[in-house]
Amino acid sequence: MVTRADFVTIIPILIVVLSGCAVLLAESLKRANDRPWHELLALIGLAGAIWTSLAQWGNDGLGFGVILTDKYALFFNIMLCGIGILTTLLSIGAADRDRIPSGEYYALMLFSISGMMMMGSTRDLLVIFVALEIMSLGVYVMTAIKRGSEAGVEGGFKYFVLGAFSSAFFLYGIALAYAATGTTKLDEIGMLVASSAQQPDLVMLLTLSMILLAVGFSFKIGAVPFHMWTPDAYQGAPTLVTGFMSTAVKAAAFAAFARVFLIALEPFRAEWLPMLSVVAGLTMVIGTVVGVTQNSVKRMLAYSSIAHAGYLLLGLLAANQAGKAAILFYLVAYAVTNLGAFGVLAALTTNDRPHDDIRDFAGLWNERPGMAALLTVFLLSLGGFPPTVGFVAKWYIFNAAVQEGLITLAVLGVLTSVVAVFFYLRIVVMMYMTEDHAPGHRPFAPKLAVAGMVLALAAVFYLGVLPGGLLWAALESVASFF
Amino acid sequence: MNLPILSLLVAVPLVGGIAVLFTGRERPAAARWLALLMSLVTFAVSLVMWAGFDATSAEYQLVERHAWLPEFGISYHLGIDGISLLLVVLTTFLTPIALLCSWESVESRVREFSFFMLALEAAMIGVFISLDLFLFYIFWDAMLIPMYFLIGIWGYDRRIYASIKFLLYTMAGSVLMLIAIIWLAYYHQSVTGVPSFDLLDLERVGLDPGRTQTYLFLAFAVAFAIKVPLFPFHTWLPDAHVEAPTAGSVILAGVLLKMGTYGLLRFAFPLFPDAAREFAPYIAVLAVVGVVYGALVAMVQPDMKKLVAYSSVSHLGIVVLGLCALNVNGIQGAVYQMLAHGISTGGLFLIVGMLSDRRHTRQIAEFGGLKAVMPKLVAAFLLITLASVALPGTNGFIGEFLILLGAFNGQFANAPYITAIAATGVILSAVYMLWMFQRVNYGPVTNAKNRGLRDLSVREWIVIGPVCAMAIFMGVLPNVFLTPMGPAVRRTVEMIVPSNRPANTDAVPLPAPDAGAGASGSAAAAAPPAAIAQGGR
Repeated sequence: MVTRADFVTIIPILIVVLSGCAVLLAESLKRANDRPWHELLALIGLAGAIWTSLAQWGNDGLGFGVILTDKYALFFNIMLCGIGILTTLLSIGAADRDRIPSGEYYALMLFSISGMMMMGSTRDLLVIFVALEIMSLGVYVMTAIKRGSEAGVEGGFKYFVLGAFSSAFFLYGIALAYAATGTTKLDEIGMLVASSAQQPDLVMLLTLSMILLAVGFSFKIGAVPFHMWTPDAYQGAPTLVTGFMSTAVKAAAFAAFARVFLIALEPFRAEWLPMLSVVAGLTMVIGTVVGVTQNSVKRMLAYSSIAHAGYLLLGLLAANQAGKAAILFYLVAYAVTNLGAFGVLAALTTNDRPHDDIRDFAGLWNERPGMAALLTVFLLSLGGFPPTVGFVAKWYIFNAAVQEGLITLAVLGVLTSVVAVFFYLRIVVMMYMTEDHAPGHRPFAPKLAVAGMVLALAAVFYLGVLPGGLLWAALESVASFF
Repeated sequence: MNLPILSLLVAVPLVGGIAVLFTGRERPAAARWLALLMSLVTFAVSLVMWAGFDATSAEYQLVERHAWLPEFGISYHLGIDGISLLLVVLTTFLTPIALLCSWESVESRVREFSFFMLALEAAMIGVFISLDLFLFYIFWDAMLIPMYFLIGIWGYDRRIYASIKFLLYTMAGSVLMLIAIIWLAYYHQSVTGVPSFDLLDLERVGLDPGRTQTYLFLAFAVAFAIKVPLFPFHTWLPDAHVEAPTAGSVILAGVLLKMGTYGLLRFAFPLFPDAAREFAPYIAVLAVVGVVYGALVAMVQPDMKKLVAYSSVSHLGIVVLGLCALNVNGIQGAVYQMLAHGISTGGLFLIVGMLSDRRHTRQIAEFGGLKAVMPKLVAAFLLITLASVALPGTNGFIGEFLILLGAFNGQFANAPYITAIAATGVILSAVYMLWMFQRVNYGPVTNAKNRGLRDLSVREWIVIGPVCAMAIFMGVLPNVFLTPMGPAVRRTVEMIVPSNRPANTDAVPLPAPDAGAGASGSAAAAAPPAAIAQGGR
């Protein structure tokens, strides 16, 4: 029996879906040469979703037996819609300049955000899978949305094929979990797993299922050895889409990753801890070491995002309250920082000077000191320098790892973060310490895009100096269900 | 008086630096004057701080403490004792001088230059006044960024290489310290139930001797040893110094290196006293190797700036030797020598910068006979050279004398021999400094380009005058500085080597200043003959 309470739980998701539909309608009903305000519709929808999520803060509900509105789900709702708002602000202007069909662009973004929100708020493996597909389909298309761009199509295709492959793994994992326990509900699986530890055949099935689920998630977060698609997709996609998928997809994937592994498979921690430790270590090392050799800034940031996935895994491995909260905090920190950085890159992109090769940044300081300063702050935050949010996030992750005794991984983490600083600084060196080889006109960013960057900048410093509020919210969120 | 003086000391340069960014791009003079004004205000605030400081107390004073992230035991906790007081004043003293010395040599991007200088000052002061390890680490790490830009943008030819090397080297050391800091906070939680990053809490808890303490000590010590820099972690220093603009070198030599020795003294030794006592002998050996090695390498440098850079390696080696003595004389001498080295090496870099501004070269061979051309500049040069080689009556003498005295009775094996080797470094420093001075300033003017060089301008007088005055003042009236640091030094020694332990050998009889605050001006002034015998001059 479906009641009103069921619908209340999905209101935020519904609003986002409806605003996506509104964008599509506006696009199809427009007159020739008209440019509907898709951005406005998207912003209204996302803001509405944030508002309704905030209104539900504290009222844990369960809709249709699968959708939760615990604080964890709402935290992710707000984070993902925040990422959407920031992406929208930064896309203004850039989307038109790059001849991206704005109706499809914003509609796909909104649909994919609705999938992400569902990933964070469900307690059922099958719904996670459906949500994963909703999210992924939108992002695949967004990657290849510049139809004329070969790199975009190649990246999108690679992403799609490998993504479909990993979905199969994921689905197989779900099937095995169902075979072993007879349910797809995370908490029920968790209870059965805890009580079935003595039955060897069940343990066998569950271990296999755990491995397959881990493969599926590792692909989505870009963890080694399932990271191969990342550089190509990141480089080929329009810059802002790269920013969006590096932050939102990662956040949503981690939301579900943490739920599955810390609820359903928590009793199996002894099994997955060594496996994921190796993955985390490899991810940090390969992400940073290969990043050093890149000359394309977008590829560099792709490898940086791989490395950051490694740090996030550290929080998952720690699996204590601090570690879980650290994942949430880190995702927010990474989102504002990375979106800011990609926003600057997008604002600088022109057809004759795409600002992808690192040498394109030479002398940026002379021509656009503001942009150079913004990008520097974002890069320093990615590198984890105080007083930016990147430092607090790293500290919090390592805090959790040390608390749990994962000293080796923590040491590996801090050392690789020094290596990462080297490649972030290569961009800074280009901007500030190298003369421009071919001074060319660099475009001015639209005012609203600048507003988006300043918003990200303010968040980077505010959360870097006064992280208390967000840390509290993150702790509250994970306390609600773990 | 409830003014948050210590917060002001960080806030004034920081706000000033941000304000400088908003001056007009076409009016560099406005940026210069505003920056200078803000740094002078900071200096004035630091003098107010000194006036409000009770020199008889060993406790932390002017303490400010506010909850910041209480659930993690992190607070905004500032306070100074006699040691940090003096280092803060050194910082605020040198920053206006550094700004003034680049008045003409930095022509491009004055706004940004002034911003980075002031941001650097704020971060350095923050390092010296933080009593919370989290806060300390923030300042410690944040300090790297302005210095990186100062070297990388306004430096000489190989500036990019030098700036990145500086940053990565320092960071690689300090991230391990971050892990150790986090570990300590959780150790505190496991003992008391609540985590704490507060230095005083952590000192109180105390670790059991053993392997853990050793690892933690090493994590801290390596971070600080890189900063000092202690041999063999010193290779970033010559590059950074040589490539940095004059103002950067002055701050780098004058203040930044002291952050390393300060860190050893404030954090590494008192937090891990057992490991400190165990490792002090080895660190002392490395320090002495650095003393001799730095001196020998300095001797053969054709480049004045590089020579001064290697002399820093040598002098800082002596400072670390003093710290490793783990007695009052040694540590008091080490702190004094930190200040003295800041003044005299800062002064040397200023002089080299003035010569390089005039001739655009720093090669010793390019100069010669400058005495006849620029008598005033050479007079200042001579005074600072003598201060650097620790002539009695200058600032360098007091510190080195106390250090050698302390190290002779130090807490490590073969202390007298090690001290004797360190003393040869003192002789060598006289050799390379005076030889360099002679080649640059005496003899006939061999290079025609040197004939028309102008002597000190009014601005340069204002830059170098206070440094010269300070070098003499510190040599003649050391009590002004030794008195406030005395109680803090004794407290620190007490933490590392509790006096109920039999190992305390402070009381080895010597016909020299008695241990403790007695090693003050009058006693030191009465002891020059002994010191000359010890120093080998």
